[in-house]
Amino acid sequence: MIYVVLFFLAFSLVLYVLLAGADFGAGIIELFSSKKNQAITKKTVYRVMGPVWEANHIWIIIMIVILWVAFPVYYNIIVIYLHIPLTLMLLGITLRGVAFVFRHYDAYKDKSQILYDWMFKISSLVTPIFLGITFGAMISGKIIHTTTPIDYSFKILYIDSWLHIFSILTGFFFAALCAFLSAVLLIGEASYGDKKIYVKKATIATIVVVLFGFITILYGYISEIQFVIDFVSNLYAMTIILISAILLIPLWSSIRKGRRVLSRLFAGSQVLLILIAALIPHYPMILFTTDGGISILENIAPDSVIKVLGISLLIGGCVILPGLFHLLKSFKMIKILERH
Amino acid sequence: MENLDAARLQMAFTLIFHIVFACVGMVMPFFMVVAHKKWLNTRNQIYLTLTKSWQKGVAIFFVTGAVSGTALSFELGLLWPEFMKHAGPIIGMPFSLEGAAFFVEAIALGFYLYGWNKIPEKFHWWTGVIVGISGVASGILVVSANGWMNAPSGFDYINGEFLNIDPIKALFNPAWFTQALHMTLAAFTATGFAVAGIHAYQVFKKRNVALHKKAFKIAITFGAIAAILQPISGDLSAKDIAERQPVKLAAMEAHFETSKGAPLYIGGIVNQETQEVTHKIAIPKALSFLAFGDFDAEVKGLNDFPEDEHPNVAIVHYAFQVMIGLGTLLLLAGVLFFITLSRKRTWLNSPKFWLLFIVLAPMGFIALEAGWIVTEVGRQPWIIHNIMKTKDAVTPVPGIVYSFYMYVALYSMLTIAVTWLMARQIKALNNPTSVAV
Repeated sequence: MIYVVLFFLAFSLVLYVLLAGADFGAGIIELFSSKKNQAITKKTVYRVMGPVWEANHIWIIIMIVILWVAFPVYYNIIVIYLHIPLTLMLLGITLRGVAFVFRHYDAYKDKSQILYDWMFKISSLVTPIFLGITFGAMISGKIIHTTTPIDYSFKILYIDSWLHIFSILTGFFFAALCAFLSAVLLIGEASYGDKKIYVKKATIATIVVVLFGFITILYGYISEIQFVIDFVSNLYAMTIILISAILLIPLWSSIRKGRRVLSRLFAGSQVLLILIAALIPHYPMILFTTDGGISILENIAPDSVIKVLGISLLIGGCVILPGLFHLLKSFKMIKILERH
Repeated sequence: MENLDAARLQMAFTLIFHIVFACVGMVMPFFMVVAHKKWLNTRNQIYLTLTKSWQKGVAIFFVTGAVSGTALSFELGLLWPEFMKHAGPIIGMPFSLEGAAFFVEAIALGFYLYGWNKIPEKFHWWTGVIVGISGVASGILVVSANGWMNAPSGFDYINGEFLNIDPIKALFNPAWFTQALHMTLAAFTATGFAVAGIHAYQVFKKRNVALHKKAFKIAITFGAIAAILQPISGDLSAKDIAERQPVKLAAMEAHFETSKGAPLYIGGIVNQETQEVTHKIAIPKALSFLAFGDFDAEVKGLNDFPEDEHPNVAIVHYAFQVMIGLGTLLLLAGVLFFITLSRKRTWLNSPKFWLLFIVLAPMGFIALEAGWIVTEVGRQPWIIHNIMKTKDAVTPVPGIVYSFYMYVALYSMLTIAVTWLMARQIKALNNPTSVAV
C-alpha cells in the first residue's frame, strides 16, 4: 500500500509541476512581454486556464496532506528548517490566486487592472522561484537536523539551509521550466497571427532552461554538492537527461508543423523526464541534511494509516480523475467546435 | 512577544479570516442554485442576472477561501510541527477526504462558471448543486479534524507515544457530529444574514428593488431556518462538552466552584483573581439543567482542576455570551421574517424592516467567530485535549512574530480588496449600462 501512496505523491507532484507550472509560466511570459503582447497573453491564458485553474493548484494541497499523513518525520524537517522559503512561497501563492481572480472578476475594468496585473506577474515569477529554492535546499545537504537548536544561531539553522547559490539556481531553473511549458501550451492556443510571439518565447525559454540547467549542475558539481555528484555519475539519470534533450528535436518539428497536442506531449514528457532524472539517483532519499540522506521509506506512518490513506486515495482518484478529464475534454471540445 | 503567543495569534488570525471566506464559499452556492432554478422555472430575467452576480461572488470567495486554506494547510505544520508530526497520521483521514471533496468542488465550479450556454442546462445546474454539497462536505471534514483535538480518539497513548492508530475511529471521534452540525448551521445562519443584509441595504436605498428583494428572500430563508434550528444543535453541544470537557464548560459559564443545582450566568464581568462574577443575571439551577438535563445535577467548577489546566476564563466566558446573545437575536429575527411573510406582508414596505436586517448583517459572523473562540481558547492549554500542550507543539524557529505581522498585513489587504470588489459588483448590478466588459 505504501507504493500506492508514493504513486499518488509522485503523481500529484508531476501534475502540479506540469499544470501549475504552465500556469506560473503564463505569468512569467506576460512579465517579459511587450505591452501589446501582454494583453493578448492575458486573454489567451484566461481562455485556456480559466476552467481548470482552480483544479491545477489543488495538487499541492494533496501533496502536502500525503506528506504529513504518511511521512510525518519528513514533513516535520521540511516545515521547521525551510520555514522561511515556504512562507514566502505561500505569500506568492496567495497574492497570485487573488490577483488572478480580481483581474477577471472585477465588475469594472479600469486602472485597478494595472495593479492586479503587476501582482499577478510578479508573484508568478517569485512563487516558482521559491518552490525551486525549497527543492534545491532539500537536496543540497545544507540542512542541519538537530535536536538542540539552541546550539546554533538563527542564521545557520534557518537561513543558510536554503539561501545559497545552488538553491537559487534551482529556483531560476524551475521558473524557466515553467515559462517553457507555458510557451509551448500557448502556441497551440493562440490565434494564427499571435503564434509567432509564443514561438519566439518558447525559443528563448528553451535556451534559458538549458542554460540554467547546465549552470546549476556545473555549480553543484564544482561546489561538491553530493546530490549533484551522484546525479552526474548516475548512468540512468544521465541517459534520461540526454533523452529529454534529444526530444527537443521532435518538439520543434511538431511546433513548426502546428501539431499542438503532440508538441504539448513532448514538452510535458521532457519535464517529466527531468523530474525522474532528478529523483532516481538517490531514491528513496529525497531529503539531504548535513548528516546525509534521509530515506522517504523510513519513518513512515504506521501500517493502519498507510492502508486507510491508500484506499481513500484510490477512491478519491476514481472520483476526481474522470471528473477532471471530463472537464478538460469538455472545454477543449468546445474550443475545437468553435473554431470550425 | 513570545513565539508561542505569536504562533497562537497568527493561527487565530488566519483562521478568523479563513472561516469567513470558507463559509461564504460553502453556503453561497446554495443561494446561487436556488436563483438558477427559479430562472429555469420562470425564465424571469431578474433571476438570471441574480444567479450570474452571485456566481461571481462564489468564485471570488471560493478562490480567497482556497488560497487562505492552502496557507492554513502549510501553517499547521509551519507553526505546530510537533503536533503535526504525531497528529498528522491520525487525522489524515478527514484531511485527505477534504482534499478530495475540495477537488470535486473545484471541478464542478469549473463546469459551472464556464458552462453557460455550453453544456446541457440540467447538467449545468447540477454542477452548481455539486459545488454546494462538496463545499459543505469539506467543511464538515475539517471540523471533524478539529473535533479530534477536543476529543482525541483512535489511538493508544502509551509512554508519550501514539500507538495502535485507527484513522477511521479518529475521523468519527465523539465530538465530530455535534461540532459539524453546529458549524454547518452557523455557516448558513451567518452567510444567510450577511448576504440578506447587503441586499436589504440596496432595497433600503431603493436601488434595483425588484432584484434585491428576490435576493434578500432567498438568502434570509436559508439564514432564518438555520438560526431557528441552531438551539437544538447548541443543546447537543453543551451536553457533549459537559461530559467530555468539563473545564471548558466551567470556563464558558465562569463557574468556579463545583455545585449542585448550578445557576446559569447571563452576562457578567469576570474577575479571575477573586473568582467573582459581577453585574450578572443568574438563573437558578439552569446550568445544571442545560448541561445534564437535571435541575439538581452536579456541575464541576474550575477549582476542581489544576490551575495550569485552566483556559483564559474571561475570554471564553465573554465569547460565549456574545455567541448566545447574537444567536438568540438572529433566531428572533428569523421568526419575524416568517411572520412578515405569512401574516404581515405590509411590513415589507417599511424602511424599518430593511433597516433591522441591515443592522443584523454582520451579527451572524460575529457570533460564529465568537463560537470558535469559545471552542479554541476553551481547549487551552491543550492542543490535543489532555494529551499534548500547545506550548510543546510550537515551532522552534524563532521570530514567528514577524510572520504574524506579515499575515496581518496580507489578510487585512485581502479583506479590504474583497470588500471593495464586492461593492463594485453590486454597483455594477445596479447600473448595468456603465459596465464595460
